[in-house]
Amino acid sequence: MLAAACTSSDGESVTVYSGRTENLIGPILEDFTAETGIDVEVKYDQSSNLALLIQEEGDRSPADVFLSQSPGAMDFLDGDDRLATIPDDLLGLVAADVRDDDGRWVGFSGRQRVLVFNQDLVDEGELPSSVFDLTDPAWSGRLGIAPSNGSFQDFVTAMRGQVGDDATSAWLEGLAANDVQTYPNNNAIVAAVGRGEVDAGLVNHYYNYRFLDEDPDHPGRNHQFATDDPGSILIVTGAAIIEGSDAPDAAAQLIEWLLQEDAQRYFADETFEYPLASGVAPSGDLPAAEFAGVGGLDLSGLEGGLERTQELISEAGLEG
Amino acid sequence: MHVHVLVIGALFALPGLFVLLRTLQLGGELGETLRASMAPLGRTTLLATSVSITAAVLGTSLAWILVRSDVPGRSVWRVIVVLPLVLPTFVGAAAFLAALTNGGVLAEALALVGAEAPRFRGFWPTWFVLTLFTYPYVFLPVSARLLALSPTLEESARVLGRSALQTFRSVTLPQLSGAVGSGGLLVFLYTVSEFGAVQLLGYDTLTRVIFASRVSNRATSFTASLVLVVLATVVVVGERSRRRNRPSDDPIRTHPTEPVALGPWRFPALALVLTTATFGLFVPIASLTTWAIRGLTNNNVGFDGLAEAAINTASVGVATAFIAVLVVLPLATLLVRHRSRTGEIASIAVVGGFAVPGLVIALSLVFWTLNAPVVGALYQTLPLLIAAYVIHFGSQALGAAEDSVRAVPRDLRESSRLLEPSPVRRMTTVDLPLMRPSLVSGGGLVLLSTIKELPATLLLAPTGFRTLATEVWGSYEEGFYAEVGVSGLILVVLSAALTWILVLRRTDVIRDSGSNGP
Repeated sequence: MLAAACTSSDGESVTVYSGRTENLIGPILEDFTAETGIDVEVKYDQSSNLALLIQEEGDRSPADVFLSQSPGAMDFLDGDDRLATIPDDLLGLVAADVRDDDGRWVGFSGRQRVLVFNQDLVDEGELPSSVFDLTDPAWSGRLGIAPSNGSFQDFVTAMRGQVGDDATSAWLEGLAANDVQTYPNNNAIVAAVGRGEVDAGLVNHYYNYRFLDEDPDHPGRNHQFATDDPGSILIVTGAAIIEGSDAPDAAAQLIEWLLQEDAQRYFADETFEYPLASGVAPSGDLPAAEFAGVGGLDLSGLEGGLERTQELISEAGLEG
Repeated sequence: MHVHVLVIGALFALPGLFVLLRTLQLGGELGETLRASMAPLGRTTLLATSVSITAAVLGTSLAWILVRSDVPGRSVWRVIVVLPLVLPTFVGAAAFLAALTNGGVLAEALALVGAEAPRFRGFWPTWFVLTLFTYPYVFLPVSARLLALSPTLEESARVLGRSALQTFRSVTLPQLSGAVGSGGLLVFLYTVSEFGAVQLLGYDTLTRVIFASRVSNRATSFTASLVLVVLATVVVVGERSRRRNRPSDDPIRTHPTEPVALGPWRFPALALVLTTATFGLFVPIASLTTWAIRGLTNNNVGFDGLAEAAINTASVGVATAFIAVLVVLPLATLLVRHRSRTGEIASIAVVGGFAVPGLVIALSLVFWTLNAPVVGALYQTLPLLIAAYVIHFGSQALGAAEDSVRAVPRDLRESSRLLEPSPVRRMTTVDLPLMRPSLVSGGGLVLLSTIKELPATLLLAPTGFRTLATEVWGSYEEGFYAEVGVSGLILVVLSAALTWILVLRRTDVIRDSGSNGP
């Protein structure tokens, strides 16, 4: 399979619809072209919008590969039978809990949910080991969340999968009763934590690294919840081949490229994500991630899916 | 003529038809969704109504001050005051938020007087920010109208003893009501379709329902879109029936208008202009600049592709403006000169298009292009993208186009027909010079809207086609604020240049040497 990847395919091209922005994934795709000679045409937009586009395009879709940051968007296309099966040898490159059971998508990088906190305002001893501790009165008014953000909703969905709807609902209501501050997205939370507007927030791990990159004096730090706590789930960035694609081999080659050492190192070192291919260690700065219940992000198994999650959030009075 | 107009109307109705189709197709619990949409609908209506009222008042006041009065530096202010329209609202709102937090321009200013920056979320901040970014929709057509109006009526009123204020109220304002109404309507429809600022500032409107459920529950999403389309149609029908009884032409301006000497009123007038420019433009620019500088000093800004994006943005914007004006002009002519029913119906489709969120327009065009014979080849090409822009923004050119047709009065047309047999010559020497101010102002609005458009561009553009707006978005999504700052600033500068060259230099009908100066 590796030998096949090195064969030059002149004149061939593969079309990618990417929910991951150009800053983050563009260089990897360019390297793919340099290595294989296959042209890559990329359309960038939010994962959900691209999923809607692929669905609307139907079998006339020019897309060959779909890269999604949102399990919900991937699940939507899967439910509409728009995803083709990925070759077994590619699926074997990652652990079973970061790919689809039916082999329709494979995770290539991960984003972990963490608690970002302002190190000047929060003591080490106060840091909770479970996300459920955040409804404690000690945290009243000190926490920020982004209820309308996709990653937050994915995390709540996974929580439902792990502990059930009732416990999840109770936790959301507990947050609301505890004067939780709402923000429109992860960036806003990390910025607010940096300013001391809130002491801590629930976000994806890599935002804080970006803030530190732009401003070394930024006081935010990440804290991981316990290994099997819902708060520390890993959200997988997935790749899939579109059913009916006219370049399935090139598509498979591209996905294989994403799972190879070079690309995985890039994700680890340049964009601070977690590499998912077996045998690739994360960047030195990142703590070893013990992932909790990633398989639980298979939304098709969950009653009501993402919509029910949004309902629960809304019923708790937590609309962004 | 009528068939042509029906075709135009049908094209503009494509998004609405798509929404209706999908709503019926997807079924879903219609009653349940409608009930759940009522509260967001109420909030959307409240926000849109209040923003359009304040934007209309602000835009009209500024237009009068910067066209009719004698405040200094009018020509410069006329460019500056239009520019808030240029920033994508999510960038403008984000920049405003940044200014209000520690270290930001507004936070520092408030600290000087010992006040704390308020928590900037909910109805009032949203109303404030949207008013600031939409008043140019009223300012541009009203100022074009003021420039074109004959001063004879006003002068007679002054001679007969009316004060400046009374003259404004009884003579000028009625002549402006059309421009104010159509500009205010645009603000209303824009606010209805807006999502970026509304989400950032936490005001829960109908668009939030549409976007939140677009993947998880498409039936709900499309039903909410249908509710939005119905709201827009009702409002447009209402506004246009109000305008039906206008005369079909105006007296020609035969001599320049003397600017009104404001005396001591100069200072409050200038203060209004300055305050608006500060909050609408300088504050967001200050935030963008801060982000850019921070990034440049840390040396981690990527400049690749910005030049290409700027060229794409400018060329596609200008092309769209041109085509949009051409497309709506036959409809405008029909509406003004022949008062046709078909024209009225078509115009509802045209104007209503502005309220439909860009994402929905894009998806509708995907549907219609791929499912119609022949046109499938146009999919993901520039012509289709321009078509999407024209459908979304054509309404902004329609009101101005109607004003431009009204600027050529019947007796002038009749005499020119007697004196000049060639219709083309008549057009270029008689009609066009009189129509130009309004046509150009309408085109200018379309240009500014196209430059900052995002959702349809992301979905429909040929792959690899970057615009400044998509560059800003890409950086913003992942928190690369330095790049947001740089590309945002380039967006503002480019728009200012285009606006100055293409719009504001051309809106004076009669080049006069002194009084009503450039």
